[in-house]
Amino acid sequence: MSQLREWLHEAWVRAKALLMRRRLERDLEEELQFHLMMREGKNRALGIAAKDAQAAARRRFGNVTLVKEDCREHWTFTWIETVWQDLRYAARILAKSPGFVAVVVFSLMLGIGANVSIFSVMNTVMMRGVAYPQSEQLVAICPTSKEDPQYDDMPPLAEIADWKKANQVFEDIAAIGGIYKVAMTDAGEPGQVPVQTVTADFFAVAGVRPALGRVFRADEGHKLYQAVVISDGLWKKRFNGDPGVLGKMFRVEGVVSTVVGVMPAGFEAIEQWYRGNSVDVWMPPDLERAMYVKRTDRWSLPVARLKAGVTFEQAQAEMNVIALALEQAYPESNKGIGEKVVPLRDMLYRNAGDHLYPLLAAVCFVLLIGCVNVANVVRSRTESRRKEYSVRASLGAGRRRLMQQLLVESGMLALMGGALGVLLAFLATHVLRAFAQDLPHAQSIRIDARVLLFAVGLSVLTAVLFGLAPAVRAARPDLNEVLREGDSRTVAGMRGHARHILVISEVAMAMVLLLGAGLMVNSLLHVLLVYPGFDPSNILTMAVNLPEGNAKYTEQVSVKGGMTKSTPQAIAFHKQLLERVAAMPGVESAGMITILPPLGAVSVSFSVVGQPVPSEGDRPHLGFNEVSPDFFRTMRIPLLKGRYLDQRDTENAPWAIVINESMAKKYLPNVDPIGRQLLLRYEPDRVNEDRPRQIVGMVADVKHIGIGGMHALFYESYMQYPAHLYGTLVIRTSSDVRAHEADLTASVKQVVREMDADQPVTDISTMDEVLRKFRSSYQYYVIVLGAFAGMAVLLAMIGVYGVLSYFVSERTREMGIRLALGAQRGDVLRMVARLGLKLSLTGAILGIAVALGLNRYIAEHFWIYHVKSTDPLTYAAVTFVLVSIALLACYIPARRATNVDPMTALRHD
Amino acid sequence: MSPKKNDTGDLLRDTLDMLILKTLSRGEMHGYGIAEYIGDTSEEVLRVEEGALYPALHRLEVRGLLAAEWGASENNRRAKFYRLTATGRKQLAEETAHWGRMTSAIARILEPA
Repeated sequence: MSQLREWLHEAWVRAKALLMRRRLERDLEEELQFHLMMREGKNRALGIAAKDAQAAARRRFGNVTLVKEDCREHWTFTWIETVWQDLRYAARILAKSPGFVAVVVFSLMLGIGANVSIFSVMNTVMMRGVAYPQSEQLVAICPTSKEDPQYDDMPPLAEIADWKKANQVFEDIAAIGGIYKVAMTDAGEPGQVPVQTVTADFFAVAGVRPALGRVFRADEGHKLYQAVVISDGLWKKRFNGDPGVLGKMFRVEGVVSTVVGVMPAGFEAIEQWYRGNSVDVWMPPDLERAMYVKRTDRWSLPVARLKAGVTFEQAQAEMNVIALALEQAYPESNKGIGEKVVPLRDMLYRNAGDHLYPLLAAVCFVLLIGCVNVANVVRSRTESRRKEYSVRASLGAGRRRLMQQLLVESGMLALMGGALGVLLAFLATHVLRAFAQDLPHAQSIRIDARVLLFAVGLSVLTAVLFGLAPAVRAARPDLNEVLREGDSRTVAGMRGHARHILVISEVAMAMVLLLGAGLMVNSLLHVLLVYPGFDPSNILTMAVNLPEGNAKYTEQVSVKGGMTKSTPQAIAFHKQLLERVAAMPGVESAGMITILPPLGAVSVSFSVVGQPVPSEGDRPHLGFNEVSPDFFRTMRIPLLKGRYLDQRDTENAPWAIVINESMAKKYLPNVDPIGRQLLLRYEPDRVNEDRPRQIVGMVADVKHIGIGGMHALFYESYMQYPAHLYGTLVIRTSSDVRAHEADLTASVKQVVREMDADQPVTDISTMDEVLRKFRSSYQYYVIVLGAFAGMAVLLAMIGVYGVLSYFVSERTREMGIRLALGAQRGDVLRMVARLGLKLSLTGAILGIAVALGLNRYIAEHFWIYHVKSTDPLTYAAVTFVLVSIALLACYIPARRATNVDPMTALRHD
Repeated sequence: MSPKKNDTGDLLRDTLDMLILKTLSRGEMHGYGIAEYIGDTSEEVLRVEEGALYPALHRLEVRGLLAAEWGASENNRRAKFYRLTATGRKQLAEETAHWGRMTSAIARILEPA
């Protein structure tokens, strides 16, 4: 205790002294002077002559300066003082070699900047916990195949009910559906709101109570009416924060919805493919609906809260037992199915992880290359400064002091690099936001305290990495050897090997990154240049999705299962709408399709009439879209055979379909497809159609499902079996679509309102815009990885340049001799270029080997599309680019070598 | 550059510290006074190395065993006067006891058997 008090007292006194340096100095001087004067006085009193008296006093006292120093030492923090000294020394000495500083700081700036950028993205989109209380207790439970544990699925509601009954480990298990934007009407202007179907216990599992009212009960979901909970945002926006909102009614997709509760502000929605999307309306499932009743339908993600004190392992063990029991009880649906318990956090952020981990690997490469660069120049510098260290050591500098000095130097460099790196990441923030647009919370990516801390940590780490080895080496120089050494060339020659290996590894790492980026750029070119199969210019698109729950437009199909089917009113609605839009001024033609290309198609399995029929589970799948007959003409999709769909294809006529070329090639090769018949089977509801569909035409391929490959696909008319009410209008204008956009949008909205006042028109956008948006997320990914690869190459080339420069400066004398002996300048040039080529080619080949080894990983995790991950053309192009740049990096040192004046070179040193 | 660099041995340092503390137990004094007092009292047997005295004083001051104040000397010059603090007094008591034990031990060894 007293020890501590003494220590605190000391620290306090020293800290005070630090601030009062000058006064301390004056006092010390005065105190010692007083002593000398008193002694002198006494001497004189003893009868010694005045001159001698002073000298005797001094003699007796000893070295005043030294005593002062000893006294001072007690007052100061020696450590801080010396670091301060070292900092000033480092600043002075670094200022003398701006080239060295530039290389080091630049390398670290790129390396640290790249890492900080990716960290700032991860920091926002992944490291945020789930915003519910005690969220570490939350898990997701996924049915999984016992053969393939990677695979996960979602369970039917009935199964979740079984889990609930059987388990002892969860407080409760809720099920959540996806987030969709659907029509909201009867509450001001019709519009779209994001909604999510969740079971009533979701809010209890989340652990959040509504701010107003209550949550819905399990029995409050129904086909025609339901109780809903709304978000704070919707409450304020649509209901002006009115506390009387409880009991208010509006329609969601036509279903009458009564507000029973309002969630507090900041309550976040979650979903399986989490993007941080918000939800405005939570609604209960209609438990009587077929899709929720059957044991084969899987639509929702189970989220559970562990009981206090229960571990993941215990929960998993319990679910294993339950899974076994279910396998026995329901062999048909549950054979070979296990249940996997995953921390909810992992589940929500895995999508982001898939995007970000490959990039994290890439930026680690960049930093590693940067560090190798720095290590290389620091190494050269340490060698040329050996004399300085030796002199300092021989003058009495301690080992620790020398090491400290060098570490202070590298720390200073690393922090400069780190600071510039943070600046770089800061400037790139908007690119990062655009790049991460599909990840949760992407718009709030920024440089916060945690990111800064990471940057500082990384800087310190790199400083230790590249600063420690030279510091240790400098701290034990062999004094005699170094001081005696006049000619350092032979020694350096031997050390050159390590330097070459470092550069080769740098080039190899850059090569791997460049190959990854090259493959992605190649893919992007495919995507950008590829013809989508239709003419996207001058097309305006907008969605008119009729509400599903509204009896006006849907009816339950009684035959087999619980499919909904649109009513004749729905067909009439679409028909009238299309006719009226086509008649608008400036419109050339108008069509409609379920899902716009390239955003997807509906999947269905089929068999060809007259061919052997595989068992139900083994049938091939086709994509299809429901269209209006004018869709083809509007999109300018060429007819290859037969005819387009037309107005004759009505409900009473034979069911007709138009297939695409890929479908014909894949499933009906060597035969005339026209006239062939297909029998369809709708998967999610397991309904076999009993009426065949006859192929009446074949059109050219259109990129419906992404812009990558081609998919076998067919089109059916909305007038024949309109199971889908979702429709997007495509309107071709006679001149520039931009000029018509505003007028057309207003006119269409007007027409829709006249036909059904509750019907919103949404997602208004030109076709070009749809394509651009679709491509942009990939584009940003390529830009970001490309930027990292560019940094890697730049750094590697600085490395090559550095080594060659060193090589040339080390060999100045040799070259002088060669030139003096009659060698041509070209010979010298070749000598340098040969080394450069040797290093970069070896690195490139090594890089190719590594990339081929990682080929699987690259193909899986990088965005590579329509291009093989071993595409020889890309490999060749990338190698060519890298080696060319390397030769460029050789050029300057090589030129310097040829300009050596033999006489100066011989006199050198 | 550790602070102990000038130590000639803990025994010597501790002895000097103890002498200083003991001297100051009589009242406040400046550095020159302390040196003179130790010299006079020991009849010049113990001549204080003046170069070692001041670092010792400063060390004790920083450790909080001594406190210092500027005041007027006997010949009316400005001088730095040291005095014992409470901690210093405690320390002196401990060291005196320790010293007593040690000298008697040494004396027993040196006594003819």
